[in-house]
Amino acid sequence: MIGFWVLAAILVASAVWTISASKPVYSVVALLLNFAALAVLYITLSAEFLAVIQIIVYSGAILVLFVFVIALLSSGVSPFAMGPNRLPKIALPAGIVAFAGFAFLVYAASKALMPPARVGGPVGAPGVFGSVADFGTALFTVQLLPFEATALILMVAVIGVITVGGEQMREPPDARRLQARTDRAMREAILREGKG
Amino acid sequence: MASVTHPLLVALWLLPLAGAIVCWAFGPQLRSAAGWLVSAVVGASFVLTVLSWGSATQPLLSWMRGFEFGLLLDPLSLLWTLVITGVGFLIVFYSIGYMEGDRAEARFFAYMSFFVFAMLTLVLSDNFVGLLVGWGLVGLASYFLIGFWFERPTAVAAARKAFVINVVGDAGVTFAIFLIFAHVHAIGYAATFGAAGTFGSGLLFAICVALFIGAAAKSAQVPLHTWLPDAMEGPTPVSALIHAATMVTAGVYLVARCAPLWDHSAQAQMLVDTIGGITALAGAILGTSQWDIKKILAYSTMSQIGYMMMGVGVGAYEGGVAHFFTHAFFKAQLFLTAGLVIHALANEQDIRKMGGLWRRMPFAFWAMLTAVFSICGVPLFSGFFSKDQVIYGALAHGHPWLYAVGVVTAGITAYYMFRLLFVAFLGEYRGDLDADHLHKPGWIMNVPVAILVLPSVAIGAALMSGGEASPWARFFAPLFGEQNAAVAAPPISEGATSAIVFVVVLIGFAIAWRRYATEPARRDAPARLEAESRAMPAILTNLFYADAIVEALFVRPAQRLGDLCGRVLDPQVIDGVVRDVALWARRLGEVVRSFQNGLVRAYALLLAFGAACFIIYYAFVGVGR
Amino acid sequence: MMAAPIGHYLALAAVLFFIGVLGVIVRRNPLIMLMSIELMFNAANLLFIAFARLWLHNAGQIFAFLVITVAAAEAAIGLAIVVATFRPEKYVDVDEVSALHG
Repeated sequence: MIGFWVLAAILVASAVWTISASKPVYSVVALLLNFAALAVLYITLSAEFLAVIQIIVYSGAILVLFVFVIALLSSGVSPFAMGPNRLPKIALPAGIVAFAGFAFLVYAASKALMPPARVGGPVGAPGVFGSVADFGTALFTVQLLPFEATALILMVAVIGVITVGGEQMREPPDARRLQARTDRAMREAILREGKG
Repeated sequence: MASVTHPLLVALWLLPLAGAIVCWAFGPQLRSAAGWLVSAVVGASFVLTVLSWGSATQPLLSWMRGFEFGLLLDPLSLLWTLVITGVGFLIVFYSIGYMEGDRAEARFFAYMSFFVFAMLTLVLSDNFVGLLVGWGLVGLASYFLIGFWFERPTAVAAARKAFVINVVGDAGVTFAIFLIFAHVHAIGYAATFGAAGTFGSGLLFAICVALFIGAAAKSAQVPLHTWLPDAMEGPTPVSALIHAATMVTAGVYLVARCAPLWDHSAQAQMLVDTIGGITALAGAILGTSQWDIKKILAYSTMSQIGYMMMGVGVGAYEGGVAHFFTHAFFKAQLFLTAGLVIHALANEQDIRKMGGLWRRMPFAFWAMLTAVFSICGVPLFSGFFSKDQVIYGALAHGHPWLYAVGVVTAGITAYYMFRLLFVAFLGEYRGDLDADHLHKPGWIMNVPVAILVLPSVAIGAALMSGGEASPWARFFAPLFGEQNAAVAAPPISEGATSAIVFVVVLIGFAIAWRRYATEPARRDAPARLEAESRAMPAILTNLFYADAIVEALFVRPAQRLGDLCGRVLDPQVIDGVVRDVALWARRLGEVVRSFQNGLVRAYALLLAFGAACFIIYYAFVGVGR
Repeated sequence: MMAAPIGHYLALAAVLFFIGVLGVIVRRNPLIMLMSIELMFNAANLLFIAFARLWLHNAGQIFAFLVITVAAAEAAIGLAIVVATFRPEKYVDVDEVSALHG
């Protein structure tokens, strides 16, 4: 139980640090800490495979992507806020209601109980809850359709990234216009020379 | 639609309408031929009426149970129809000459024909709603004709006044119909009069009062009389036909028709005969203070209708109706001869500017003389028979005060009518025109006057002499027989009554002679007229201040209400509501618009807010199955 | 090792989720907003896995796996959009990108 509380504290603290850091890089580091603690929590919940996936995909791929983008936009990085806050006046009351809703949820949720049993056995062996063998079997038999759908989503994501960000690959417009002007001038010069 | 079993009856009713429509549609093409057309139409209606002599019922249309419309020809409606078409024909023929050269002749004859149709609808209907339709249309025709020369603002105002007062009467009749229908669940005369005994005295009195309001408005009885003198703005034939012979007698027709109702309500009868008596006296007194020839005749009409109302009010229906009959002839005659004079004097109507005409227009003089004898009730002339029937009837049915009023009024009538005659025709000419070269009226105008002399003089003697055995009494026996039977013998006999009336008439004649016909009197006739007029107490000359009361009670509050609506209600309240709706719609739109501020974070906030709402809802209500 | 009562996991996930929401609304840097979104994903994942453990059914774990995949795809596209939008801008501030105002 004490493990849970420690992990919970780390999770909340790192989340708060993520959203309140003054520089984005600090936020990335805090998020990394959050993911790590989450992975440990997964392990305590007998989801070892997922804990590893969490580290690999989340901390290893996504956060790295974030770091790259921060580097790309480093010229326009801003701290908390610049300029006036333009949220509409309804923001405060709506925010209070939202907070109240969630707070209530937290309170209500904190009353339920969890059975403590765990099916014994080495991790990774089939028949053991949370093992890789079990996971793989389920993924490729019962849950095949969502799996394939995910593959589709990933492909869409790739195409989307290329479409959205692919503009940067082409030549800048000025160069093209300059090229067109140069071509025209050359053609006229040739024609003049041909006549004269 | 029922089958037409009496085609002549339907034809005589609808012909004038056809004539009116033709004149309206083809006015510019017809011009003066319109007069001949309408005369022919009305004359044809008269012939058809004579051919249809007898009793007849012609159901026309059954709308639903209790609402059957049709035509009814019985002694009462036959008499009225004869007068309307007969006298109407003569007057329309006369107006061909009178209205000659007028710019809108065809329109005039269209209106006259329309009036005849409306009046026939009124008297020929066998139900109250048909009566009301005719009632309203007659008021409309009167409005058209009074305001015929609409470039004159006085004519327009008079027409409007007549119409508005008539509408008050219409409301009365309508209300009476509501009450009748509520009780009897039918609108036909037969059903209503059959159930006359079952109404209950309060309801019956209310019905009679409502009906009498209508009758009083239409027949210019006090206090709804103020429109009649003003109605003289119309052309003289109009005054002759509508405001002497026919339309103003519609009230008398109504009371006579509803005799069964009145017989069951003594209070209603008292109302009718009291008002009739007051009007008779008031009209006569007011007639002595006028010097416009048509206004004198208008007040005399009012007074004579007062007599008729008195007659039908006390229960002497035959007498009242008899007086209507004779009055139609001699009043039409008076108006038509007045028209001869007016026409010859280039529309001069002031008798102070007349005089000495008996030498220059002898025909008019003698014609008017006969009519004046008749109206005064000189023995053996028509008016004598009918007026005496009314006065005697008042006593016979137990109203000595009305008897006295009738007698006194007869004297006053004699006075002002003879005064009219003397001032207009005797003495020297006091006007501005060249008296020896007056524009005499042509044969078209003289013929009807000549024709009317006979009935004005003799019809009373012909029909009404002989008491119970007279043709008149026998004619009306099926309708009014029972009323006559219930009368006890009064203290003063009929013969004695006639003698008393004759004496009073002689006194009136003598006073008029002394004041206006003797040699010295003839010279200062105008001055005497004016002196008399000034001596009249103000309350009478202002028509009992009826006009002022109406103005204060109704006209000014209505004007103020209209002003209020125009300045406050319309622009601020009604427009304001519309504007406010638009304003709030726009404000609401702006509130919603404030959500669309392009800020991603605001949208995210709204998302979170919405999600929280869902969560809270499901936390409390549960997801369900 | 003994796991905590399910209520605790619920509460923890709710708190994490709410912190993520707060981050999206309050911060104006688009990168921080995206990171907050990742926080929200993770909170949901935690719940899936906790309930899988409660009912000893691995469908929750599989779904958490799929969520991670989708989150990766979404992060990739989101970052590409951020880059495309804010490259020419002077300040990386979502409030400035309010062309849809009105």
